Amino acid sequence: MDKNDKLAVSYRRRQTLITVLPFLALAGLFGALCAIVTAKGYRLDMYLKIVFNEGVVLAIVATGAVFIYTLGSFDISLGASTLFSATLGVLTYNATESLPLMLLVIFAVAVGCSLFSSVLASVFHIPVFVTTVAMMSVLSAVAAQLITTYGGALGGISIPSEVVKPLDKPLFKIIVLVVFSALCIFVFNYTKIGRRQKFLGGNPVCAQLTGISLNKYAIIAFVMAGLGVGIGAFLTLVYTPSVTTTTAGSIGMNIIVAIVFGGMPISGGARSRIYAALVGGFSYILLNNILMLLVDSNAGYGISQIISAVFFLVVVFVTGINYRTQILPR
Amino acid sequence: MAKPILEMKGMCKRFGSTVALDKVDLTVYPGEIRGLIGENGSGKSTISSIAAGMQKADSGEMVFKGQRWNPASMVEALEQGFGMIVQEQGTVPGISIAENIFLGGISQFAHGPFIDRKKLMAAARQVLDRVGMDSVDPALPMGLLDMQDRKLVEIAKVIARAPDIFVVDETTTALSQIGREKIYELMREQKAADKSVLFISHDLDELLATCDTLTVLRDGKLGRSFTKDEFDPDLIRTSMIGRELQGDYYRSDTQATCRKEIALRAEHLTAGQAVQDVSLAVHKGEIVGVGGLSQCGMHDLGKILFGAIKPDAGSVTTGSGAAITSEAVAMKQGIGYVAKDRDVESLCLSASIQDNIAVAGMERYAVHDFLILGGRERKYVDQQIGELSIKCAGRDQQVSQLSGGNKQKVVFDKWIGRGSDVLILDCPTRGVDIGVKQAMYQLMVRLKGEGKSIVMISEEMPELIGMCDRLVVMKDGRVTKEFTRGPEMTDTEIIKYMI
Repeated sequence: MDKNDKLAVSYRRRQTLITVLPFLALAGLFGALCAIVTAKGYRLDMYLKIVFNEGVVLAIVATGAVFIYTLGSFDISLGASTLFSATLGVLTYNATESLPLMLLVIFAVAVGCSLFSSVLASVFHIPVFVTTVAMMSVLSAVAAQLITTYGGALGGISIPSEVVKPLDKPLFKIIVLVVFSALCIFVFNYTKIGRRQKFLGGNPVCAQLTGISLNKYAIIAFVMAGLGVGIGAFLTLVYTPSVTTTTAGSIGMNIIVAIVFGGMPISGGARSRIYAALVGGFSYILLNNILMLLVDSNAGYGISQIISAVFFLVVVFVTGINYRTQILPR
Repeated sequence: MAKPILEMKGMCKRFGSTVALDKVDLTVYPGEIRGLIGENGSGKSTISSIAAGMQKADSGEMVFKGQRWNPASMVEALEQGFGMIVQEQGTVPGISIAENIFLGGISQFAHGPFIDRKKLMAAARQVLDRVGMDSVDPALPMGLLDMQDRKLVEIAKVIARAPDIFVVDETTTALSQIGREKIYELMREQKAADKSVLFISHDLDELLATCDTLTVLRDGKLGRSFTKDEFDPDLIRTSMIGRELQGDYYRSDTQATCRKEIALRAEHLTAGQAVQDVSLAVHKGEIVGVGGLSQCGMHDLGKILFGAIKPDAGSVTTGSGAAITSEAVAMKQGIGYVAKDRDVESLCLSASIQDNIAVAGMERYAVHDFLILGGRERKYVDQQIGELSIKCAGRDQQVSQLSGGNKQKVVFDKWIGRGSDVLILDCPTRGVDIGVKQAMYQLMVRLKGEGKSIVMISEEMPELIGMCDRLVVMKDGRVTKEFTRGPEMTDTEIIKYMI
């Protein structure tokens, strides 16, 4: 085996390890949750249902968001978009009693909000992060105003539970998750769109000089993220057919953590992966639930958030070490 | 003989399974300009960066000015009198030129918690004058400067500390002739002050002209050292690559040849002050050189021809009359562009060799111009890797791990693989070793023979003379002279129209 072969083998081993680690972490967290719930004498099926329902929404919204993160951009408004879409969906249903129309409004609003952010960024050359921070404030405020106007400050707004109850089945959610993930994986890995987006995220200057238009691919990325938000908003209503001002509030931040947990660099580029959102989304929800079970006190939520944050920093540090050691002087 | 200023003994360094340095000894004396030469990946930058505090050796001993030497950082090394101008970007774009020059030493301008900006700017002005940047305002943000000026600021940053030893790591490739002359002058000043220079370059001519001694590195091992009286270009080349160069270096024919059909035409191009009323026609099977000083507008011209800069006036069209209005249109029309700033403009360093080569050639292997199938893509990339014999661990290897020469081969593959009919090459041999240079030149001759057209923008006069059918000389954004390949295309004639 010559020097180049050895280098190739060691490089591939490292890459395989990086790929496998998030899956191992997911399996470990799943095992830990089962063990803890069983040890505490709680109902495992109930906990698995909670993890599944929360995980599906986060994984779907994060899967769409991977397209934005791949470009090296950052959208913090996705939680607010989910809330806003769900709010307008509920109001539409209550006004028309039409489920298809509600769905249409949810998707139109979700994609519209995303598109608006991307157009603002590309036409006025405002950094995407800035436009999404502004969007987050505006959408949260408008949604809160609508919810308090139509549902009162504490109650929120809702649709009759029987409208979406037939869809509140694991099989339906799995099908939705599989179909949307398959669409994203196809676009990301098997079309020119995904390849070009990864390249843009890695080096926008070089991508431009390779004939790749940042604006065009940013718009496509935001449309894909909008679709994820639309599905996430709908599944949120399927799970709990009401919307309050706190619905989906933490999704925007949770997506960042989920994507990193799934093994994708936060800077996007060539090492971006769709499965990172799926694996990371469920890992994050599992971790949250484990921490809630372990830190069983009034301060539980705060402490579990702190532990999650430390976990996040550790994962970013570890992935950073791997990246840094790969750079050799010439 | 005087005591050495720097002694490095048994230096070893590995990066994973790659041996970058294998028991290398290096000694530099006061008043000496020592050249360091070797192929890409031979360990030149590694050994100098260890001495300059950029990274640690795995083993070995260093003595600097009679003391054991193990600097914790480049800043510490510079404070102790060891300055290095790094090969790639060593400046911070978001702060001023003056702050870059005194980075790490800004406290000398402090009055309590405040910085005396007037004093800082005056000191920066003085240093900038020394490197020939007398017309540049030190208060300007670094990010506004082009590559050459950024490099000059790096030089200023090092000489501002009056180092005892001054490492120049492939810096001259980023500089025009005037910039190069400036740095040679600084080296001579250093020598005259009984201080030392470690000069790393791929340009044998400049090493022979400047250095007192020359050390050859090969595959991380110490090769032969030459004193001035032993300088023999052929012997040094052979010592570098471990074999004699086969075949011609530049083109062997002495006459301009091309086909009748025009491949690319530029008419009355004007873009700000950089390019002024430039017209140019490139024929099929022709290599057209564009030469001049770095600021003459030739680099902007390259970008205009590729549609990356929109001209204020004038047009670029293909032989069939299609207007080039953007990079995407240029690519559709079979035009490829190799940028001067390879790491920033031509490659995505965090991506693999496969990603970099494949991204430009999707039309060649995508099904229905949309669907990417792994097998077809891998086959395409492997073919390109084999075409230019890229030395790599495999198509999945990250481009940042490759040597400069192999990186440049990836860039060439990216454009040649997609079957570009017209190639705009901006400084195509910048920072590549002699063996890769020869391979590039032979490739250009082959492409010319296949009827492809090449626009070769270069700051290296020998390669322009050696390779071009026609040479367009630019000065202050305008074409001052056009030469046709032949006996009158000499450097003394050309330089008259450059300066």
